[in-house]
Amino acid sequence: MKFRRAGYPEVLDVELTEIGGHSARARINNGEEIVAVIEPTFAEGGIVRLGRRAVRVFSTRGRGSILVVAGPAQFEFIPVEARGARRPHGLATPEITAPMPGKVVKLPVTEGQQVETGDVLVVLEAMKMETALHAESAAVVKQIRAGVGQMVDHGAVLLVLSPAPSPSPSGAASPAH
Amino acid sequence: MRAIRTLLIANRGEIALRIVRSAQILGLRTVAVYSDADPAAAHVTAADEALPIGPAEPAASYLNAAAIIAAAREAGADAIHPGYGFLSERPEFAHAVQQAELVFVGPPPEVLSMLGDKVAARRIARRAGVPVVPGSDVADLQSAREFGAEAGYPILIKAAAGGGGRGMRVVEAPGELAGALDAAAREAEAAFGDRRLFVEKYLARPRHIEVQILADNEGNTVALGERECSIQRRHQKIIEESPAPQLPDELRSRIIEAAVKLARAADYCNAGTAEFLVDGDSFYFLEVNARLQVEHPITEMRFGRDLVIDQLLIAMGERLTEPLLPRGVAIECRINAEDPLHDFRPATGTVIQLAMPAGPGVRVDTHLLPGTEISPYYDSLVAKVISYGATREEARRRMTVALNEFSLLGVRTTADFLREVIASEVFARGELSTHFVPEFLAQWRNNSADLKLALIVAASAARNGLGVTAAVGTNDGDRSSGRPRRSPWAELGEFELFRRDPGEPKP
Repeated sequence: MKFRRAGYPEVLDVELTEIGGHSARARINNGEEIVAVIEPTFAEGGIVRLGRRAVRVFSTRGRGSILVVAGPAQFEFIPVEARGARRPHGLATPEITAPMPGKVVKLPVTEGQQVETGDVLVVLEAMKMETALHAESAAVVKQIRAGVGQMVDHGAVLLVLSPAPSPSPSGAASPAH
Repeated sequence: MRAIRTLLIANRGEIALRIVRSAQILGLRTVAVYSDADPAAAHVTAADEALPIGPAEPAASYLNAAAIIAAAREAGADAIHPGYGFLSERPEFAHAVQQAELVFVGPPPEVLSMLGDKVAARRIARRAGVPVVPGSDVADLQSAREFGAEAGYPILIKAAAGGGGRGMRVVEAPGELAGALDAAAREAEAAFGDRRLFVEKYLARPRHIEVQILADNEGNTVALGERECSIQRRHQKIIEESPAPQLPDELRSRIIEAAVKLARAADYCNAGTAEFLVDGDSFYFLEVNARLQVEHPITEMRFGRDLVIDQLLIAMGERLTEPLLPRGVAIECRINAEDPLHDFRPATGTVIQLAMPAGPGVRVDTHLLPGTEISPYYDSLVAKVISYGATREEARRRMTVALNEFSLLGVRTTADFLREVIASEVFARGELSTHFVPEFLAQWRNNSADLKLALIVAASAARNGLGVTAAVGTNDGDRSSGRPRRSPWAELGEFELFRRDPGEPKP
């Protein structure tokens, strides 16, 4: 099984073989074999034993991810699909979504506007702090779905982008004849 | 001054719960107020009565003086404790409370007004013979230029009506001055509604040291030691300790004496904190926070004292009791709902499970309970973990052990980052300055020892069928649509990540 840890680029590969009782043999990124005993104690937590060490963990499913907590350490693992997911429009992220609930405080772009990598598309305010979302590549703002002053939820689509037209030799963004 | 029988707490979160507890110890009836974002908060159920005061947005609820005073009247409260933040340092609120014939638990409005104006506060300090950060109270271009030439660059432009580190600009060279003053004035106008600026010498690696003051109505003023608050991030404190490590006794005495002199000069009453910047052998007055501070527990641990009880007794006209001699060392870590790896961006969500540290010398001030909602409307403080030890090293180790036990499922917190800071050699050496966090972050790699273990748990969970239609997320999108949130208890089957018996067929 492959996972990515949220916020990190590396793909982590886990081979897990259950061997009866609550025990399993695991190998991570082809490393050494680890034997773990995973015992549930309630719906969102249990004990994991590695050798003589017993660790209390909490765990639950998030939105398309699995959350695991051991003491103060918090992990969010996103399963990586076997096939690479195809992105429409050739843009890595055609939809700009809110990474957390907040209020839209700035929307410095307009529909139809062409933006460059790094341009600020929208600024959200949450917990007295501002978070700016930037264009990851050149694009055109196709649609604005939120307004300044609006409260938005985590995952709400704020803007939709379309790929920037490729520049023609004359410099004007028009289709080649 | 008169006896208080019913106290309304005009705040939320951990401090509201803290105040409810102490008021109940005194036998007072307690009234909580809550916004639409906090109906099931810990302070609401801890208090004897609770009244809703408006929508989640602070301006409509916790900053809504009229709503709060109306709630006090409705519940028959005779006093209001403002906590920290929100309305606690607003002279108009304190005045309105008094106009409503209620007791305001804090200094009188005139004192709040005077100390809230940073330029006026500096003037009081100078008159009292307390050193202030070299500066000029007048910040027109000419005076600023003269000051810069005399004191040397870099200098700092600050807003007279500012505070908490906001509205400040560093000017490195004379050429930048004109532009910086213009921009700062505009920012100050926008943020505080007041264009007035002043300039100070910019201290390169200062320590932030503050003194806890308590004063009663008879003019008895005492200092309850100092606190070191140098570990900050973007001017927000994250670790505090008392006493300040490696501070020569002589310097400590001078700072404490200056704080008391200042408090007397300002006719201070109730609890407050005088903040100073310490640069080598010199110390300079910065500002007074005319309220109870977030980090007050470390002072309480060392002096064996309940400062909220002190505040209430002073408000009732009682005379201050003689402080005990302080003992030991106390450290506090502020745990925030923030992601340390993404520039500490605020995190929101619902607390699903939590385990808080405990044991001798460990104190946790938190409002978190399973089901607590951490929303985007308020600041991100979720818990304060305080440790005590006979020595600094004992307190530090106790804090490391405590943070190792701190566990929370459902919202990202800074607990693991703080554990690394406390466990670090740099922190153990006690060499603190306000540059600590950026320097620590620059070399911190979040390599968790438990990554492998966590991965194995995740793989085991995935094996039990992680569907795309997975159940409740950590960030809930249903609130705005008005639909009730999906509870894990209603769908226990989908949540069973840990198969009780590998032989059991899946539901």
